Order: sequence, then C-alpha cells, then structure tokens
Amino acid sequence: MQKLLKAAVIAAIASLALAGCSPTVDNKTVVLVTHDSFAISKTLQKQFETESGYKLKLVKAGDAGAMTNKLVLTKDQPIGDAVFGIDNTLTEVASDNQLIDGALAAIDFGDVCLNYDIDWFAKKNLATPANISALTSSKYKNLTVVSNPASSSSGMAFLATTIAVFGEEGYLGYWSKLKANGLKVVAGWEDAYFTEFSGSSGHGKYPIVLSYSSSPAFEIRDNGKSQTASILNDCYRQTEYAGVLAKAKNPNGAKALVEFMKSKAFQSELPESMYVYPVDESVSLPESWAKFAPAANTLAGDELDVAGNRKVWLKAWSKLFE
Amino acid sequence: MNKKALGWAAPLIFIGVLFFWPLGNILSKGFVGDWLFHLLKARDWQITWFTVWQALLSTFLTLVLAVPGAYILYRKKFPGQRAIRSLITIPFMLPTIVVATGFTIFRDATHLWSNPIVWIIAAHVFLNYSLAVRTIGSFWMSLDLQTEEAAALSGAGHFRTLWSISLPQLKPALISAAASTFLYCSASYGVMLVLGGGQVHSLETEIASAANTLLDLPKASALALIQTLLSVIAFGISQTGGRANIGIELGEHDGNVKRADRRDWLAILITLPVFVLLIAAPMFQIVWKTFTEGDGFVANFVNLTGRGTREILNLSVVDATLNSLRNMLISASIALVIGVLVSFLLALPTKNRSSVLIVRVLDVLFLLPLGISTVVLGFGYLVTFGGYPLPLRETWLVVPLIQSVMAVPLVVRLIYPALVALDKSHLEAAATAGATRWQILWLIELPMIRFTVYTAAAFAALVSLGEFGAASLLAYGDQATLPTVLYSLISKPGGENYGMAMAASTFIMLLTFVVVFVISRESPREAKAKRNGLA
Repeated sequence: MQKLLKAAVIAAIASLALAGCSPTVDNKTVVLVTHDSFAISKTLQKQFETESGYKLKLVKAGDAGAMTNKLVLTKDQPIGDAVFGIDNTLTEVASDNQLIDGALAAIDFGDVCLNYDIDWFAKKNLATPANISALTSSKYKNLTVVSNPASSSSGMAFLATTIAVFGEEGYLGYWSKLKANGLKVVAGWEDAYFTEFSGSSGHGKYPIVLSYSSSPAFEIRDNGKSQTASILNDCYRQTEYAGVLAKAKNPNGAKALVEFMKSKAFQSELPESMYVYPVDESVSLPESWAKFAPAANTLAGDELDVAGNRKVWLKAWSKLFE
Repeated sequence: MNKKALGWAAPLIFIGVLFFWPLGNILSKGFVGDWLFHLLKARDWQITWFTVWQALLSTFLTLVLAVPGAYILYRKKFPGQRAIRSLITIPFMLPTIVVATGFTIFRDATHLWSNPIVWIIAAHVFLNYSLAVRTIGSFWMSLDLQTEEAAALSGAGHFRTLWSISLPQLKPALISAAASTFLYCSASYGVMLVLGGGQVHSLETEIASAANTLLDLPKASALALIQTLLSVIAFGISQTGGRANIGIELGEHDGNVKRADRRDWLAILITLPVFVLLIAAPMFQIVWKTFTEGDGFVANFVNLTGRGTREILNLSVVDATLNSLRNMLISASIALVIGVLVSFLLALPTKNRSSVLIVRVLDVLFLLPLGISTVVLGFGYLVTFGGYPLPLRETWLVVPLIQSVMAVPLVVRLIYPALVALDKSHLEAAATAGATRWQILWLIELPMIRFTVYTAAAFAALVSLGEFGAASLLAYGDQATLPTVLYSLISKPGGENYGMAMAASTFIMLLTFVVVFVISRESPREAKAKRNGLA
C-alpha cells in the first residue's frame, strides 16, 4: 500500500515535470499569434519557410478581442513572436499596453455590410433596400437578422455604423425602430448567416443579414450567379494589422514574417484563404470577387473611437435589447 | 493516518498545481481597482439569481426525466438497449453551435414559445440527460434488487416501490447527478449565448464578455468569485441531504435484470418522447443536413479528409481526430486514476468530527473545477505557465491536462457515492483474510461497482472529446482538435464549408457513439458467463 502511494506521488510529480520540459523554441522557429480565422496554404507556408529560413508555427488564440486580451495578459512573456489580426478597434489597446515592437502594419481589410437573398426578393417582387435607413420601412418588416454587438465583432461594427450614420443622439432611436420592425438579434455571425439567413446553407427565414461584402462570392450557384448580394452603402471597414511582439524571443523572424505578409504572394492569397481584401491595391482580386464581391461604396464609422466607447455604447444598446 | 496523508499528496499536487494555482493567480490579478464594486452591483446579483434559478429548474427537469429513463435503460432490459444508452450520451459533448443547429428543427415551433429561456432550459436537459440517466442508472444497476422484488411480491405497486424503496436507495446517485447537472448548467456558456441570442445573461456569459470583449479583468474576476461561491454553496446544500452510507447491499451482477414489460408503461411513456423528440430529433437534423447541404453526403466527407479546397484548415480532419483521440486517452486515464484515488480516500471511514470536516473540504476542492469559468481558468494558464518553473503553455500536453482537471470532479461524483454505498461486510471479511486495503479496492470494490466505473470512464473520455474551451485556449496550428476544426469551418461563408461542418458534426457524433459503446461493452468473460446463466 505504502509503496503504491509513493509511486503515485512520484508519478504525479514526474508527469508535471515531464510536462514542464517543453521543447525549447530555437531561433529558427517563428511563432505567429493569430485569431481563429487565420489561414495560410501549405504552399505559401513552404515559400515563407524556404525564403526566410524560419519554420512557421501558428498559435490561434480565440477571436480578435480574446487574442488581444491574451496578449495584454502575457505581455511580459509573450506567447509568440509576431501577431496577426489586431483590427482597427483594438489598435489602441495594443498601443496603450505597448504590445508591439515598432509599428503595426496594415495587411488586409473586410467590409461589414448587409447582404440580401436575391432570389427571395425576386420572388416577392420587392425592391431591395438601398441603405441601412431603409430597414425601418414597413416593407421590410421581419426580414433582417444581425449579430449581437456585445458578442460579435461584426455586430459591433454595425453598431458603430449606426452611430456614425445617425449620430450619438439618433442611433438608439434607429435601433428601437428596427426592433419594432421585427429585427432579429442573434449571438454570432455564424448564427445569423448559417442559421437564420435564407440565402445560405441554413435556409433560414430572414432574407437580409449582417455579413461581409465578400460573402456573395461564396454563394455562387450552378447557374454561375451568386444567390446573394451586398448593400454596398453604410459599411464598416475592419482593417487587420500585423506586428512584431515586444519581448519576442525571435524578433528577426517576426520581422521577416510581417514583411512576408505584405508581399504580393501573401496578399494575393488573402481573398481565397481569409475572405478579405488585400491592402496592396496592385494585387488583383479573383474573378468571382470582381464580379460578385466588390468592396463597399460608402463607408461609415471610420472616425469613431470604438475601443474607448465600446462599454458605454454596449450598455445603452443592451438596455434596449433585454 | 500517515498513509492516508501520503495518499492525498498525489491528487492534491495535481489539482493544486493545475487548478488552484492558475485560478488564484488570475483572480489576484483581477482583484485590483474597482473589482469589489462589482460584488455589490444590483445587475450582477440579478444575473446571479438568473444563473441560479435556471440551473435549478434545468436540474430539476433533468432529474425528473432521468429517473424513468434510468429505470427503463438500466434496471430493465430490452433489445437495442445498449445502442440507445450510447445514443443518449452523444449530446453531452456536442459543441454548442451544433446543438443550436440541431435545435433549428424546432424553429417552426418557436412561435409557441418565443421566450429563449425555454429553449436554453430544453438544451440543458438535452445536454445533461445522459449524465443523469447514467449516474442514476449505473448505480441502480449495481443495487441488489431483492428489496424491490420483495416489495413487489408483497403487493406494493410500482409507484410505492419507487417512492419508498428505490428512491431512498438511489439518494447518493441522485445527489451526485443533481450536483453535476447544476454546476454544468450554472457554468453553461455556449448554449446560453447562442440560444439566447446574446441577450440572455448568466454569470458565465458576463465573465466571457468582460474578459474577451470589454477586456475588463476586475469584473471577470469578481464574477468568477461569485461563481466559485455559488459552487461551494450548491455543494453544501447537496450535502445537507445527508450521505447514504448505510451499507446498501450492492448486487454483484445483472443476471437477474428482467425484460421490460407492460407494467413499465409509465416509464416508457415518459422516456420514449424524451428520446425521440428531445434527443434524437436534433441529432437527426444534423445528420440530415450532412446529406442535403454542401456537395452532398459523400463529397462532404471526402472534403473533410483534405484541408478543404481553399485550405482554410491548418490540418485535415483526420489529423485533428488523431489529436482528439490522443488527448482523450491521456486525459481520461489521468482523470480516472486521480478520480478513483480521491473517491477511495474520501470514502475511507472517518474517526472524528474534525476529520469529517477535512473530508468535506477535500471533497469540495475536487468538485470546484466543474463550476468554474473556462475562460477564467484559461487566462490563469496563460499567466501562470508561461515560463519558469513550469512552461506548460508551450506544450500540447496542456490541453489533455486541463481536460483531465475538468473530468476529475465528474469521476469523483460517480465513483465516490458508489464506494460509500458498498456493503462493508465483504471488506471486513477480506481484511480478516489478510487482504490489504489496496487489494480490496482493486479486487473487490471496483469490480462490484464496475458499471459506475465504465460510466466514469465514458464521461471522462467525452469531456475531453467535446471540450472546446481549453482546446481553443491556445490551439497550436498542428494541434487542433475536432471541435476547434468544426468551429473554423462554420465561421466561414460558403456551402462547401457548411457541408463539411455538418459532416464533421456527424463524424463527432459517430465517434462519440463508438467510444461510449466500446467502453460500456461487457468483457467477453462476463458475456459468456451470462450466456451460460452463471452470472
């Protein structure tokens, strides 16, 4: 009995010690901290590794907000060398906490726009809304689903859009009109798009959904046409940045990686891999994108301080939707 | 006493290092500034109250439905029973987004109840039903049936037998099932968020939004403290129910289990609709979508074996499955060993009041991981295991280790009441015959409660297989697990991704079924003994 117990104690300590012996990350490996939506093709990863001589290791740390908070918590012992995916609502958090060594580099952008189901509107013989103000019209009663700004970044982007369009004094009025007009609010983008939206795989009941201007490129049917389109006015532009983490173990590798993300090779893969537009304007978009998923015509909310006001806005908004 | 203290050392080191250290670390970082202010805010207490009552209601409904379910699935036998037992276990580990997708089968019924809380509670029952059925059922199966049969022979009806004989005997299992279900429901995150549209707030959703969206650590820490207190109080209340260490005679075999017959109509009448409507229908919806969405059934699965045509996954689902299975084996083994050891030590006879108190404290220490926010614990890991002395953060072992921490309470809740309820006369006889305490546990006690041990193993495996929070805590590119792959599929537009996500869900359900089916199978020796009528 005593022997067995001793063995158990030793085993427990040994397993912890074993777990502690992590493979030491050498200077030939560069660790990229990124959000869950990050993707890179094998070919491109190989290209980076051959060109730079560094092996690329990915750490996915949740959505952009969770990732940034994790970086803040671990800034003295960062969980990687470089970061990708800090967006324009989070850059201030990054600079306040001195997360980045040097400056953040813009890599890509995505436009949060309303999408609609072309087939649904054609069948009902109804004109599609031209901008977000139109959604309060009784013509569009019970047709719109959006994601919650408190739990999704696209939802937050839309809230910022409404504040930019209707002003601090007008946006809550707009939202209460939306609510009265049968607006559906769900937790996240995937619930809105895949569960409630009628134009995608979930076959939901709502023909207008908050998504991205790029989404219609992924709803092309057998006839070669997309079943959905974006309302390209009143969109919020989310720009994503990359940077070298302060106190990185391999700052040179991190620099090389950020440079690589700005390169033509990486930029031209962005639409296909991450469903976003490259910042490098000389890079041409895929054909289906040029046809069905152009970037927004008019933007709103760029000038707002989302990071600073998030709490106040969410509080006011939540009062309306509880 | 010395031996006992030494025995406690291993599990205490385990839970201390892997749970209380990181938790204490992150809470102490949060207890700055206005954190105390959050403990006093009315809104937070409102949210706490909602968390409590919805968890109580979910627990109550789960238990009411689980008792007849346990009766018909474990106390009686019928053809196809094992398959159904395994089927009802699947929901326990389904990722939330899959649960929500499954629940869209009720979408046309939502005008009946437009209140999302109804659906949240229904989903809680959906998720926890199998845990309760198995906790109660495996215990019931181990009970000697003579008392019940004697009562039936002397003319007591089914209800009277249930009410005055079975339920009191089942009390330890009922309390365990209630405690686990309550803690799961009070810390439920995904269901609350998705089915509540982000507009229903519980402690856990508030903690997650404070930590992830508002980057407000003091608020998250204050709420996590309330959450911890809630778990301790719930535990305390469950203990006032008293422990039924009254030496119930456990049957050593299930050879005399009778076939279900007409007199079991009520149990069947309750269990059949629960199974068909609540458990099978949402799962059917997922499988159905695998056939109808994306590129069709076969193509969806073929797509899964690659990294997707646009390579949005960092590894194929095959690799992710291997990662998941590896994590499952490691974490379930650790959780079983630690859980059995803790249960054994907790069940040892106590000599005086102060040692009773010590045992209670130890008991609650090993229960707490069930009721704590994974977000908070995940942050704790990040700040604690970054470097010296334990750079755990960098290794893939962190995922199975954190999963085993979450599974230990479940194993203890299952094994401990069964050990306590064992009739002690066998043990005394064995001890007189010169067997050591360890031999008694290994050779007599564990075989006697083997159904409970199988159940504990199955759930420890499922906690790992379905766990998303810890796996996504820091998912190294090549270490992604099935749930994290599923999530990255469903967070991109396009029919192909959706089809693959549905195929991945179907695959996860199938894998769960196989794992549970295999773990709960009888050993060939037992099966043979049964066939020969010797069991």
